[in-house]
Amino acid sequence: MKKILFLILLTYFLTLFQSSFVVFFNVRGMVPNLVLIFIFLFNIFEKPSENSGIAAAAAGGFFLDIFSGGHLGINLIILTALSFLIKYFLKNIFTLPFSKKL
Amino acid sequence: MRISSLSKNIILVVFLASIFLLLNYTGYSKKIKNIFYFISVSIQGVFWKAGGGVSEFFGTIIEIKNLKNENEDLRKKIQELSFQIAQLEELKRENEVLRESLGIGLEKEFSLILSKIVSKEASGDFILIEKGKKDRVTKGMAVITPEKALVGKIEEVYDDFSRVILLSNKEICFDAKIPQRDAAGLIKGKGNSQLSISLLPREKEISVGDIVVTAALGGIFPEGLLVGEINEVERSDVQSFQQAEIGPAFDITKVQELFIITKSR
Repeated sequence: MKKILFLILLTYFLTLFQSSFVVFFNVRGMVPNLVLIFIFLFNIFEKPSENSGIAAAAAGGFFLDIFSGGHLGINLIILTALSFLIKYFLKNIFTLPFSKKL
Repeated sequence: MRISSLSKNIILVVFLASIFLLLNYTGYSKKIKNIFYFISVSIQGVFWKAGGGVSEFFGTIIEIKNLKNENEDLRKKIQELSFQIAQLEELKRENEVLRESLGIGLEKEFSLILSKIVSKEASGDFILIEKGKKDRVTKGMAVITPEKALVGKIEEVYDDFSRVILLSNKEICFDAKIPQRDAAGLIKGKGNSQLSISLLPREKEISVGDIVVTAALGGIFPEGLLVGEINEVERSDVQSFQQAEIGPAFDITKVQELFIITKSR
């Protein structure tokens, strides 16, 4: 539970950071989507049996939605689907050489 | 019924997602967004200022070689412009006198609301500013920098914040003119802070460095606001119009405060 809370706060601050600080370091107006990168890496490196990756993806998607244009729920669905996909692959298709917890 | 932990998670997320999707079609998503913006605005303010400071620091280091030349060029330009301003002031006075004597009303200035930038969206050319419905901001108002350079217009209004669609957004399309050459054209945003102007008549000699301002035709933006400078001209003998790339007059990373035009003449 504490871990999930920590992840929610982390993605919140990452979103703020991304939309107010990293913006200044843009390349032709583009900025890396740190939240997306973080969720992706976190889900890959976490033990596939754990579920906090999915919670992190949901929180990340939610905050991305809030701080960007479209309807609420777009980024949420995309990121959680991504995290599910990663977990599914890691559980059933192949395992990566590093299976320790983040 | 034994539901595995994974399916429980799936059901939970689908449930939440459908709630959010429902929210979007009532007014509630706006209220939620407003609450979050409100909570975050102080932190984002710190980030925005810090980002400006750090990027300027690094920018200066990278540009150190060019700074001296740029300085010289700018000094020269300032001298030329000061001279031009003096001439234009004369004309302005003459214009006012003539208008009064003819009985036409004097040109009114804009009434403005000052506002700070909160954040820029990572995907798409939008920014969030710190004034909203409470400050009597409505959709469609133009947003400019203190130097009267056009930034964009208000696209969505929340209680305490508004979302501004930037000029470089692909959905933006409006009329503009190049006063020096007496040519008018259509400006389209190209994404990633780029603009282009097209439908320029072929006979006019457009050159790099020409200033582009808004025209009054579309009624979208007030007239006379600075849009940018021509960077590259494309003309071909086959096409009946010219096109050009425009460097926008505003740099979102160098601007701290913006004005919202509430009423124009």
